[in-house]
Amino acid sequence: MSLAKRSVLISALVTSLGTWVFWWGTDGFTAFTAETARRVEILRSPRALPDVTLEDQNGKIFHLKDYQGKLLAVDFIFTRCTTLCRSMGMIFKQIRDLIPEESLGRDFALLSISFDPEHDAPANLKKYGEAYGADGEIWRIARVRNKAELQSLLDAFGIIVIPDQFGGFEHNTALHLVGRDGRLRLISDIDKAVPFAEQVVALL
Amino acid sequence: MATYTYTPVPDQGAKAGVLAYLVISCVVLLLMMLFGLLMRMEQAQMISIGALWFYKIMTLHGAGMVGIVALAGAAIMWHFLRQYVDLSTGIFMANLILFLTGVVMILASVLLGDFHAAWTFLFPLPTTSMGMWSPGAAALFMGGLLVIGVGFVLLHLDIARAIISRYGGLGRGLGWPQLFGPDDGNAPPPAVVASTMVTIVNLIGLVVGASILVMMLINVYVPTFEIDALLAKGMIYFFGHVFINAVIYMAVIAVYEILPRYTQRPWKSNKVFLASWTASTIMVMFIFPHHLLMDYAYPKWFLIMGHIIGYLNTFPILIVTGYGAMMIVYRSGIRWDMCSRLLFVSLFGWAVGAMPAFIDGTITVNYVMHNTLWVPGHFHTYLLLGMVAMVFGFMYYLGKPNENAPDSALDVAAFWGFVIGTMGFTMSFLYSGKISAARRYAEHLPEWVPYDKIASYFAMLLIASVLVFIFRFLTRLGLASRDYQRASLARSMAT
Amino acid sequence: MIGTLSHYSGRSALALGVFYLLLATPIARDWLEASMSRHMLVQMPLLVVIGIIAARLVPGRMQDSLLIRLGGAWPCVIAALFASSYWMLPRALDAALTDPWAEAAKFLSLPFLVGFPLVLAWRRLTLIGRGFVWTNFFSMLAVLGWLYIVAPVRVCNSYLVNDQENAGWYMVIASVLLFFWWLGTLLVGGGVGPDKPDQSGSGRTFA
Repeated sequence: MSLAKRSVLISALVTSLGTWVFWWGTDGFTAFTAETARRVEILRSPRALPDVTLEDQNGKIFHLKDYQGKLLAVDFIFTRCTTLCRSMGMIFKQIRDLIPEESLGRDFALLSISFDPEHDAPANLKKYGEAYGADGEIWRIARVRNKAELQSLLDAFGIIVIPDQFGGFEHNTALHLVGRDGRLRLISDIDKAVPFAEQVVALL
Repeated sequence: MATYTYTPVPDQGAKAGVLAYLVISCVVLLLMMLFGLLMRMEQAQMISIGALWFYKIMTLHGAGMVGIVALAGAAIMWHFLRQYVDLSTGIFMANLILFLTGVVMILASVLLGDFHAAWTFLFPLPTTSMGMWSPGAAALFMGGLLVIGVGFVLLHLDIARAIISRYGGLGRGLGWPQLFGPDDGNAPPPAVVASTMVTIVNLIGLVVGASILVMMLINVYVPTFEIDALLAKGMIYFFGHVFINAVIYMAVIAVYEILPRYTQRPWKSNKVFLASWTASTIMVMFIFPHHLLMDYAYPKWFLIMGHIIGYLNTFPILIVTGYGAMMIVYRSGIRWDMCSRLLFVSLFGWAVGAMPAFIDGTITVNYVMHNTLWVPGHFHTYLLLGMVAMVFGFMYYLGKPNENAPDSALDVAAFWGFVIGTMGFTMSFLYSGKISAARRYAEHLPEWVPYDKIASYFAMLLIASVLVFIFRFLTRLGLASRDYQRASLARSMAT
Repeated sequence: MIGTLSHYSGRSALALGVFYLLLATPIARDWLEASMSRHMLVQMPLLVVIGIIAARLVPGRMQDSLLIRLGGAWPCVIAALFASSYWMLPRALDAALTDPWAEAAKFLSLPFLVGFPLVLAWRRLTLIGRGFVWTNFFSMLAVLGWLYIVAPVRVCNSYLVNDQENAGWYMVIASVLLFFWWLGTLLVGGGVGPDKPDQSGSGRTFA
């Protein structure tokens, strides 16, 4: 075979291989960021979560497993946050208000988890919850005290927390829905509160 | 100072590729002129095609004309440059194929996809169609421009390669050793200097253009990646202005190469010539701000710089070329035929066409004039009577049966029809601009309509003359590829 | 040119290997990957440079025969194009930090699929080929920088949002500076490459 022919052949081969790698690496040209990838993957195969021990705003100890059988909306916060976590509070309130009242608590609950257990003692959690009208039952604010457990929970959700220059954190913020089977089944943007609530209602 | 003597060089015929470029140029040029006529007749209320078709035709006319004059200019540049350096025919043809691919994409986008956001594709118009065209149509249009741009990048890279390997660097191609050192008379010929300048500015312009096109293509599909509108406008006009300016610097090579053959006087690459081309290499990249003078959000220094450099850049090459042509023709006993007439009138057209731009480049004038028909008046004058006249001159040169062949009365009549038609057509543009007729309007106020009518009649005369030019060239295609003496030698009146 | 593996190039190869391993140590990785700008604009280019130097240490004849076996210049350029653009994906950046396999792939692919093949191909590319690679690189780097500057979201979960903007600006600046540097080399006549594309793919030295 002449070199020119081989050159064309190998070029075509390299091109298709390269395209395939891109296809594979971006889930068919849909997910270019890790955040999208996480969402696409969850949709495709809902993910099991570790059963961590949590402490809520009243100091009450409970487990993530306690919510099995209910739909659970989860978000991750830290109470010193002055930016996104504040709007997260408002968004969670909006979602709760969109769910039919008879389902609240019985079939659907909300949980805000702090990833800053050192600073977020129950008193701080309580203050955060009260600021947004969280009742402490249907919508609880909690922390995971055990560091290893916290990390495994964050890993399972795909949350990456990095300290910023101002003593706070930057983290990927989203709305998470855990199904009745205790698996993470949906992640959506925080500006999609209404569609999120509609999804929940459809599942009730 | 070095002395320059004229050394006769044989007139070469055009390679098949050059003829392909020129034939395609003829066809597209004529079609685009007819489109232009349709627009003027719509404004003159002589026909009624509706606003949608007006803007579709306007978009095609703009993109088509910019593309086709670039193609024709490239043909002239390539034809003469390859007599000095070793150019690749493969790349030349690849550019043509990419060009035609881009043209098909643009035609599909406008005719099938209803895209009509003007050839300048100013952000955010292509992506904000309000349902008039699909994102796909906008993407196809910008993709077409991108494909055409890639072709020209390849062509210019080949020219850069050839000039560098012959002269040892683009700096030497511009004659810098002779410009900044003693003039030893070995400066590259004007064709090489002009090609070097065009290659440098077009490479820069095209890289910037490709960047903004890719940015806008991303924005079409992912609108959340917002583009700063001022940045986009700056980049688009930088690219667009450099690219359209470059066409006349390509076409003027015909004047540099052909006029000396008529008068047997050398066109000198002397220090003044070299200095003006080097100066314009830099300045042509900084004159686009005259499109932005109304955008008060730009920094003041930027606009003032544009004003000043816009003034300065009007002159060096124009004066050097005009003066050079006078020196070559003066008392040379030149024999006027269609070719020499068209080339000579092209310098007049270039000079006349530059003046309205010079006036429009004044900030206070620009505020009231830039969005009127004054500006189309400017660029139609300098492109039609300047650049396109050079192209037709080149075609008559290639097709001239022998050095003593007389021109028929029809050709001479067409020449005057072309000059008068263009002058009348562009003057009505300029006058409409003076009375504040808005630019890019499908419908005109009753006060403006009489001038649109006048313009339409002159445009018809112009198109009729161009038909003669094109017919003559096509019937002489067989001659155009042969090598023989074409230029009519001057009667020996030279002193 | 480099004819045989001399004593000198042997020592260079050793130094290069040591440098490569140094880059792979957790300390160097942690520091270089702590910020997006350092990750994309220091660590990754260094890895490519390692591939470039490694290829240059290979004797000329061996480079020629290798290039022929790989099918000439264009497969090499295309491989480099794909491999380098893959690591510009925000997702790939994140993966390199969270997934050791991805990190290993990065450390292998950048030198051996970008730097190394580019050097092999470069000697055979005329100004048209080189210019095509360069102009593509400049405009894509600038566009990528712009994407990172204007991205409405944090594209990398592992990096701060202002880090992302900084990295974007550095890319735009780097692209403009590199563009002017390249034009400069054209003005003085460097970087042209062979005058004609080598049809046979082999230099006269090889025949």
